[in-house]
Amino acid sequence: MLRLERVSAEIEGVVVVRDASLDIASGATVALIGRNGAGKTSLQRLIMGALKPRSGRLSFDGHDLAGMPAHRRPFLGIGYAPEDRRLYGSFTLEENLRFPGEVMRLSAAELSRRLDLVYAVLPELRDMRERLAAGLSGGQGKMVALGRALVAGTRLILLDEPFQGLAPVLAQRYGAALRGLRQADRDIALLIAESNPALLSFADESYLIERGEVSRHGTPRAPISWA
Amino acid sequence: MISIQTVLLAALDGLSYGAQVFMVAVGLSLIFGVLRIVNVAHGSFYAIGAYVAASFGLFIAAAGWSPWLTYPAMALSACLVGIVVGGTLEVALLRRIYGKEQVLQLLVTFAVFMILEDMQKAVWGVRPYFIDAPLGLLGTVNILGINYSIYQLVVVPLFAVVMLVSLRYVLRHTRLGRIVTAVTDDREAAAAMGVDATRVYLLTFMIGASIAAFGGALASGATSLVPGMGAGMTILSFAVAATAGLGRIEGAAVAALMIGLGRSLAVYMAPEFDVLVPYLIMFLVLLFKPQGLFSVQQTRKV
Ligand SMILES: Nc1ncnc2c1ncn2[C@@H]1O[C@H](COP(=O)(O)OP(=O)(O)OP(=O)(O)O)[C@@H](O)[C@H]1O
Ligand SMILES: [Mg+2]
Repeated sequence: MLRLERVSAEIEGVVVVRDASLDIASGATVALIGRNGAGKTSLQRLIMGALKPRSGRLSFDGHDLAGMPAHRRPFLGIGYAPEDRRLYGSFTLEENLRFPGEVMRLSAAELSRRLDLVYAVLPELRDMRERLAAGLSGGQGKMVALGRALVAGTRLILLDEPFQGLAPVLAQRYGAALRGLRQADRDIALLIAESNPALLSFADESYLIERGEVSRHGTPRAPISWA
Repeated sequence: MISIQTVLLAALDGLSYGAQVFMVAVGLSLIFGVLRIVNVAHGSFYAIGAYVAASFGLFIAAAGWSPWLTYPAMALSACLVGIVVGGTLEVALLRRIYGKEQVLQLLVTFAVFMILEDMQKAVWGVRPYFIDAPLGLLGTVNILGINYSIYQLVVVPLFAVVMLVSLRYVLRHTRLGRIVTAVTDDREAAAAMGVDATRVYLLTFMIGASIAAFGGALASGATSLVPGMGAGMTILSFAVAATAGLGRIEGAAVAALMIGLGRSLAVYMAPEFDVLVPYLIMFLVLLFKPQGLFSVQQTRKV
């Protein structure tokens, strides 16, 4: 479904992704493990179109992603929760959730179907739907960011360090929500960036990223030996 | 000795002037919020809007049509200037300098300002323009012995209030408003949710330019139009935007009123300071509230 072939990208002359190749199939849960500064965020921004590739090929269902403007991703069913969750503080929680659907002009029926999935996976959001996003805690915000990514991402969701800054209880709750999502929809693919592989033991496969270089690692449970 | 009449006159002038400044400043800060560009040529939309409206007004008078037509002509002028001049400017020029160094943006928009200034002189000459239809239609009202035009006392401030209320409504309660707010907050995240920033930039620029041009169109019915009015308005609207904190609509209204009143009090009582007063107000506000009068509520980051 998502395929990167020897993709490189640079920021201000510095290569941040180097010859990366990656394959994500429908329904797969894929971990992207790398230390701080390894290039996890850059790789996801590359997929989202915020960074332009210098070389290589990016495709999604056969569509060339490299030549496609960033804002077309949600229309392909790709959702994204950036590392600093970037909610709109002056919107209510539900306005944040609805926003991608509103932008894409989804029909009311389709949007409410997607919101139902969000509230099924993250039931705690339902009671807070009228709250302003600016007043949510960090952990609550992470849940909303996941929900918002779900509204856009019917096929693939990119999560950038979703567990970062979550207290242990909340991290467990977040992990449970991801497993719940797995059960509710078996076709959505997840690409989750993390520095701590232990948090992603539920992934089907994992990639390592180091200084922008991506390598396949098999299952996340396999012990990692950093070069 | 300063009479109570002088103070009152200054206050009334300041109200009408502040309303015009608000319309220029609110467009400026809307544009800055979305496009992150400091547009030195923004006051030119005010001036061109004024000249176009005056031309329509003179045409209507010459053709012998009802003077009431000058009001819709003002709105038409504003949209025309915003869409044609603003739209051309954004597509042809500004698009190339987004995200570039601010010095470059300042130089480019300053060049645009100079070009527009000369174009105004080429088209409308340097003699003052004045249309009296809007003012004459409504007559005057007597306040404590001063005859003051209803147009300046009611119409100009009323349009500013209508603008304030409708902008607030659109930004908070419509799809377009949420999209503009989203791009202002974080363009990269907005793109990830399907927002086509290129279109939002163009639309925002045309709207901001139209509002400034509408301020100018209103001014055409209240003051005589002279070369240089755009420059003065740019400077004042920058002072207002800085005082209010960029991106705050209500803040721009309060700051515009403060600066409009301050300036016209100075004009009557200490004309030698009239240029200085707006900066003095800005300086005092920023001294105590460096983020501006109304600082923006930020989303807490994890
Ligand atoms: N805007 C930028 N300008 C310059 N260099 C950048 C920029 N963003 C990232 N980099 C560099 O790119 C490299 C990869 O950064 P990236 O943010 O992708 O890493 P990461 O794996 O997400 O790190 P973290 O775990 O800290 O989030 C780093 O060396 C970083 O310094
Ligand atoms: Mg990162």
